[in-house]
Amino acid sequence: MINSIVNKFRQRNFVLGFVAVLVIFVLLGIYKPYVLIEGIQRSSLYALIALPMALLLGVVGIINLAHGDFMMLGAYFAYFMNVQLGMDPLVAVVPALIVFFIFGMISYYITFKHVIGAPELNQLLLGFGLSLVLGQAVNIIATNQPRKLSLDYVSSSMKIGDFQFGTYEFIYVAAAILVLVGLQLFLKKTRTGQAALAVGQNPRGAKVVGININWIYLIVFAISVAIIGAIGPIFGTRNTIFPEVGLAYTLKSFALIAVAGIGSLTGVLWVSLILGLSECLVLSSLEYAKWSDIIFFALIIGVIMYRSHQRQVK
Amino acid sequence: MALLKTTNLTRQFGGLAALSDVSMEINEKEVVGVIGPNGAGKSTFTNVIAGLYLPTSGKIEFKGRDISMTLAHERCHLGIARTFQLMRPLHGLNMLENIMMGGLFGKGHSLKVARNNAMEICQFMALEKVERPISAMTALEIKKMEIARALATEPSLLFLDEVMAGLNKDETMEMIETVRKINGQGMTIIIIEHVMRVIRELTHRVIVLEWGKVLCEGLYEDVSADQRVITAYLGEESEC
Amino acid sequence: MKYWKYMIFAVCVLVAISLPKFLGVYPLQMLNIIFIYMALAVSWDMLLRSGQMSLGVAGFCGIGGYTTVLCTINLGLNPLVSILIGALLAGLIALLVGYAVLHLRLLYFAIVTLAVTEIFRILVRNFDITGGPEGIILPNAIFKGDAAGTYWLMLAIAVFTIILSWVFQKTRIHFALTSTANDEIVAASSGLNIFKYLVIVFVITSAIQGMVGGAYAQIYGFVTPESSFSVNFVLLPVTMVLLGGSNSTWGPVIGAVLLSVIAEALKLVIPYGHLLVYGIIMIVAILWLPGGIYGIFKKIGAKAHN
Repeated sequence: MINSIVNKFRQRNFVLGFVAVLVIFVLLGIYKPYVLIEGIQRSSLYALIALPMALLLGVVGIINLAHGDFMMLGAYFAYFMNVQLGMDPLVAVVPALIVFFIFGMISYYITFKHVIGAPELNQLLLGFGLSLVLGQAVNIIATNQPRKLSLDYVSSSMKIGDFQFGTYEFIYVAAAILVLVGLQLFLKKTRTGQAALAVGQNPRGAKVVGININWIYLIVFAISVAIIGAIGPIFGTRNTIFPEVGLAYTLKSFALIAVAGIGSLTGVLWVSLILGLSECLVLSSLEYAKWSDIIFFALIIGVIMYRSHQRQVK
Repeated sequence: MALLKTTNLTRQFGGLAALSDVSMEINEKEVVGVIGPNGAGKSTFTNVIAGLYLPTSGKIEFKGRDISMTLAHERCHLGIARTFQLMRPLHGLNMLENIMMGGLFGKGHSLKVARNNAMEICQFMALEKVERPISAMTALEIKKMEIARALATEPSLLFLDEVMAGLNKDETMEMIETVRKINGQGMTIIIIEHVMRVIRELTHRVIVLEWGKVLCEGLYEDVSADQRVITAYLGEESEC
Repeated sequence: MKYWKYMIFAVCVLVAISLPKFLGVYPLQMLNIIFIYMALAVSWDMLLRSGQMSLGVAGFCGIGGYTTVLCTINLGLNPLVSILIGALLAGLIALLVGYAVLHLRLLYFAIVTLAVTEIFRILVRNFDITGGPEGIILPNAIFKGDAAGTYWLMLAIAVFTIILSWVFQKTRIHFALTSTANDEIVAASSGLNIFKYLVIVFVITSAIQGMVGGAYAQIYGFVTPESSFSVNFVLLPVTMVLLGGSNSTWGPVIGAVLLSVIAEALKLVIPYGHLLVYGIIMIVAILWLPGGIYGIFKKIGAKAHN
C-alpha cells in the first residue's frame, strides 16, 4: 500500500493535484476556517455514502439506483431501534450491518439476479422500481412525516480562539476512511475480493477459471447494501429523515463516481472534497446560499460533457 | 494507385501495442489474406481500418485520401465495409431489414430503393425467404446475411473477418464460391482467416502479422514455406 | 395491406372527438389526464427504442409549462401559440444537452437529463420573473376553462404523438433506433450516424414533452416549481410503458389508459404511498413481463395466426 502511494507521487499530475488541494485548504483555512471544517465533514459524508456504490458499480458493474434508499432504510432502522428499544444509533450500526447483509442478499435474489447480463437499461429500470418500492413502503409504514433523533452528543463542539465548530461530524471522516481502507483490504487481501475484481474485468473468463460468479455478484451486492445500510444510522444521528431522503444521495454518489472515474475508490474521496468544499463555500454566503444545489448539478453536467467529448475524440 | 495504403499504422491499448508500424498497400480488385497466430493484431487491424478504433499514430489512405481520423460510419460512406468475427445480426430486424441497413445508411437510399437493392443482393447471395426473423436462420445464412449487409453499402473494399469459422466442409465450399463471385464483380477483398485452405483458394497475396507487426508478405506458396511463419504458428501451438 | 388498422384508428379518433357531446365534465377531465400521460408515455418510449432512457420528462414538461405561462402573461401571446413556443424551447434545450452528452450512454445520459430537471427547478424557484417558490397563476385558464375545448386540445396532442410514433416505426428512423439498441458497432459499420439520430429523436420527444407540459399549465392555469416539475411526469410514463409494453405505439397507450384508471382508484384506497404499486409494477414488468401487456396480446395473436 505504501509502495503504491510512493508510486503515485512519482506521477506529475498527481503531485500537481495534491499541491493544488493543499493550497486550497490553506487559503480556505485562512479565509473562512469554518468552511474548511464543515466542508471536510460534508465531503466525508458524501464519500462515505458513495463508497459502497463505487464498490458495486466499479468492481462488478452493477448499478443500483436504490442505493440511497437502503441508507434511508438503515436510518429508519436506527430510529425505531432508538425509540422502541432505546438503542443508541451508533450501536445500531452493528445489527444494521447484519440485517442489511441478509436484506441485501434477499433483494439480490428477488431482483438483480435476474438482470445480470441483460441490457444495462433493465438494471436501471429495476433499480428505479426498487427505489420506489422501498421509499413508498416506508411511507406507508412510517408516514412521510420527517423524523429526527434528539441526541445530546451530536451537538458537541470545540472552540479554538473565538472560532467554534462541531466536532461530532468528524465521525463521518473516520467512517469514510474506515470504509475506504476496509474495502481496499477486502479487494486486495481476500480471495473473494480478488475474485470480485476478476469477475468485474471478465465475467466469462472468471467463470472459466472456476469462480462461482453468481456467488460473487451476490456477496458484493450484499456487502454494498450492508455497508450503506449501516451508514444509515450514522446519517440518521445528525440529519432529519423522511422516505425520499435517499434519492438525492443516490444521485450525488453516482455523480462523484462518474467524476472520479468508475473503478477508482480513492478518487471518490478527492472528488467528494471538491464538491463538499465548494458547496460549503457557496452556502456560507447568505446571498448565494440558495444556489448551492446548482453547483452539484453543474458539476455533474460539466464532467459528463467532458467525458462525452473525450469519448468522441478517442 | 493503391486503393488502401497504411503507413506506420500503430494502435496502442494502455501500454500494449496491438498494432505497430504496419505499412501495406492493397490494390484494386485484389483479394488479400491477412493471417497470423491468435493475438497477432488481425482484428485490431480490421477495427482500425474500419474506424472502430482511431490509430494512435500512422496514416491510413483510402482512394488517395487521408482517412486516419474519420469515424466508422464515415468510412462506410467512403466505401469500406466489413463483417464481424462473431456473428452480429440485429435481432430487432428481420433478414431483409438487416440487409437494408447498408443501403439506407451507407448509401442514403430511400426505403424503397434500399429494399429493392437488398432483394437483389439476397438473390445474388442465394438467400431465400427473406422476411424471416433472425431466430429462424441458420449460422451459414446469418453469415451470408452479414456479407449481404456489407455489400448493400456498395463498398469498394470489403473486409471478411473469419467468415468461415464454424462452418462445415460443404458450407465452407459454398462460402468460398460466394466470395469468388463477389470478387468476380470487381470487389477488392481483405480476408482474415484461420482456415488455410480458404486462403490458398481465394487470395492473390497474403500478409502475415505477428505481435502487431508485418512478419512477411507474398504469394501463399512462398509465405507458407517461410521459416518465420512456420515458427510463428508452431510457436503458438507449442504454447498451447 | 393492413388498411383496417388505420380505419379503426380513424373511427376511434372520430368517436373521441364527439365524446364531449355525451360526457359530463368529470369524465372529460379524467380523459384529459389519460391523454396527458399517454403523450408522455409514447414520447418516452420513442427514445427508449434506441436503448437510451431519458429521466428528464419532468424537466421538459416544466420548461414547456413555465415558458408558455411566461409568454402568455408577459408577451400577451395566444395560449396555443405560447404552448408551441414552450415545445420549441424544450426542444432547443434538448438539442444543447443532447449535443453535449449523447456520445455517452444509458446511466450517464439518464443522470444528465435528471440533472437538467433539477437545475431548471432550482432556477425557476430562485428567479423573480418565474414567481419564486410560489410560481405563477394565470388570470385565465385556456379556453376560459371550457371542458370540451381543453379536451380537444389534449386529444389533438395525444393523437399527434401517436401518429408521430407511427411515422417513427414506418420510416428509416425505425431502422436507426432498432439497430442502435441492438448493436451500435454494427449500426455504425453499416454507415449509420448514431449520434445524429439520437439527437434528433431526443429533441423531438423532448419537444413533445414540453408541449404536454405547456398544455398542462394552460389547462390548470398555474405553474409552480414542485407541480410543474413533478416527479409524477417521469414516474407514471415509465411505469405505463413497462406495463403496457415498450418498443411499440400501442403498449404505452394501453399502459396509459390502464394505469390512469388504476391510479385514480389507488389514490382512494392507499392515499399515502400508492406509488408503491407503481414500483411493484415496474419490477414485475422487467423481471417477468418483458413485452408488457401488448406483448402478451402479440404472442396470443401470433399463436392464433399459426
